[in-house]
Amino acid sequence: MPLLDIRNVKKEYRKGDKSVTALSGVNLAIEKGEFLSIVGPSGSGKSTLLNIVGCLDTPTSGSVLYNGRELGGLSEQQLSDYRRDNIAFIFQSYNLIPVLTVRENVELPLVIERKYSKAEMAQKALAVIESVGLGGMADRLPKELSGGQEQRVAIARALVKDPLVVLADEPTANLDSTTAEDVISIMQRMNTERATTFVFSTHDLRMERHAKRIITLRDGAIEKDERRQ
Amino acid sequence: MGMIIKIAFRNIGRHKRRTVLSALTIAAGLIVFICMDSMLTGVDRMSIDNLINLSSGALKIQTADYDKDKESFPLNLTLDSSLAPLAAALAQNKRVSHVTRRTQFLGQLSNYDETVPVVGTVVDPAADTLVFGLKPYLTGSYFGADNSREIIIGRQLAQDLGVGVGDNITLYALTKYDSRNADVFKIVGVLSTADPGINHSGVFMTFAAANDFLDLENSTTELDVAVARTGSLPAFSAETRDIQKHLQADFPSLRVNSFLDLGAGVMELTHAKRMSGFIIMGIILVIAVVGIFNTVFMSVYERIREIGVLRAHGMKPQEISAMFVLEGVITGLLGSVLGCVLGSLLNLLLVTKGIPMEKVAGSIATASYGIAGNVYGEWNVAATVVVFVLGIAVATVAGILPARRASKIPVTEALRFN
Repeated sequence: MPLLDIRNVKKEYRKGDKSVTALSGVNLAIEKGEFLSIVGPSGSGKSTLLNIVGCLDTPTSGSVLYNGRELGGLSEQQLSDYRRDNIAFIFQSYNLIPVLTVRENVELPLVIERKYSKAEMAQKALAVIESVGLGGMADRLPKELSGGQEQRVAIARALVKDPLVVLADEPTANLDSTTAEDVISIMQRMNTERATTFVFSTHDLRMERHAKRIITLRDGAIEKDERRQ
Repeated sequence: MGMIIKIAFRNIGRHKRRTVLSALTIAAGLIVFICMDSMLTGVDRMSIDNLINLSSGALKIQTADYDKDKESFPLNLTLDSSLAPLAAALAQNKRVSHVTRRTQFLGQLSNYDETVPVVGTVVDPAADTLVFGLKPYLTGSYFGADNSREIIIGRQLAQDLGVGVGDNITLYALTKYDSRNADVFKIVGVLSTADPGINHSGVFMTFAAANDFLDLENSTTELDVAVARTGSLPAFSAETRDIQKHLQADFPSLRVNSFLDLGAGVMELTHAKRMSGFIIMGIILVIAVVGIFNTVFMSVYERIREIGVLRAHGMKPQEISAMFVLEGVITGLLGSVLGCVLGSLLNLLLVTKGIPMEKVAGSIATASYGIAGNVYGEWNVAATVVVFVLGIAVATVAGILPARRASKIPVTEALRFN
């Protein structure tokens, strides 16, 4: 059974009087531990697909199954719980909470999860901060970090709760090439070491190069599904 | 909850200027209310004290017929037949501290050039000072041992007639038997009180003088009663009402009025002043609501992406809402603490130093309130606690709407927001 099973998902938006089709019947099965890249030109539906997989958005029709469980029809509260327990996000512009330190930002998903003690949260956060190469920066605020460091914090924040799936929307778009390579290698390492499933949208050829599977979207439909060894 | 509180506190710290401005608006509302309430309470107390001290006593007893015709000050409607049982009943009541008798009449005072209508009050000089407090307002002297040709008159009356202490003046009046009489009296004292009635038309003489001048034969038209004052004004009022009720029941042919009945105008003014105080505070708090609403709304607007991130990580809409409401509450708490502290400090000055009301509001305004000299504020802990809670409540309410808006923003829209 695939970890994520996307069946004939369609998404339409209203734009004034017009109806815009963002996804037109996407079928996609994602297995546990995949390092999957979604590519395609702007407006091809990459972000919409990621949002639907991450339960940030709901499809107009079709279904999304997580470990065989249908996610359609879940209430707002249940979707929040689903995201909290299973999915982590990495955003293009990092989106760290500016008033929280690096450690507090990384602890945030654990705080929302409410499963750990304060000491356990601090221990887990510091370990993952160390693993992304930011040891010694735990007490800094986001404004004291470079863009690359901020994205590492975002990765640490995504990984701290050991999610089964990490969804990343253009995670290297705002980074210089050296920093982007660093970020990619961290994600790869986490994928290998923890068997975390990574699904990321990208325009970045370097990212594409490292992907084990590349889904190419065009006009809201899958044009190509390539697997690499 | 800890993280929500942490984020709320730090965001408030991040926008210090905005937070301080909102908190100051609330603080201003509270300061105005605390000081206004203090001064209004002080003015009320002074008005009522003056009413009791200068004209009404705690209780005023007249015949029911006199009460109906009191505007004409009839000298024939006396209490004389009831005086003995009344005195006995009052003597038995331990809450009654002193009793005096008075008789009022209408007359005219003339310096031969001008004639001014006056209200004369015949007093028992020894007992009167135990019920009324005229002496502190007196220039010259009180009635002497031989007082059959002595009068005391109001300041404005003296000024209008161009007379003063030591001068002789002619008083005209109808006697008890409705015959006209005129006699010359020596002004031994001039009264400058907070009661405009006394100042403008008050003439006081003793029974010794009135027996001769008005053929009074010691007739008494009113008995004035002082009640021992312990506790707050409401407690004193309740006690006075209680004595009034019992006396009225025991003497149905008489009319027993308390200072509350006699000062109905003052009481109405007190109520109106309170309402105006609440209205002013209400206006300031509405400004504070708009300020906090704006602060929290700006905060929501600036942090839409942050809201998206928190929601993406699984934070529930009500937790997002709680975070923003908390910012309103903290701002309200800051404003309320600041307002109560600054308001209390300012009130300390009002309580200890007072305000020279005549200089601030003018003599006409102070006379209409029945006050004179410095007016001192009063502590009102209950009102301070109420406005403290109100400040926080107002801030909470102001934060709810933008907080609800924050919790309802779709996650994808929030994450796309620039």
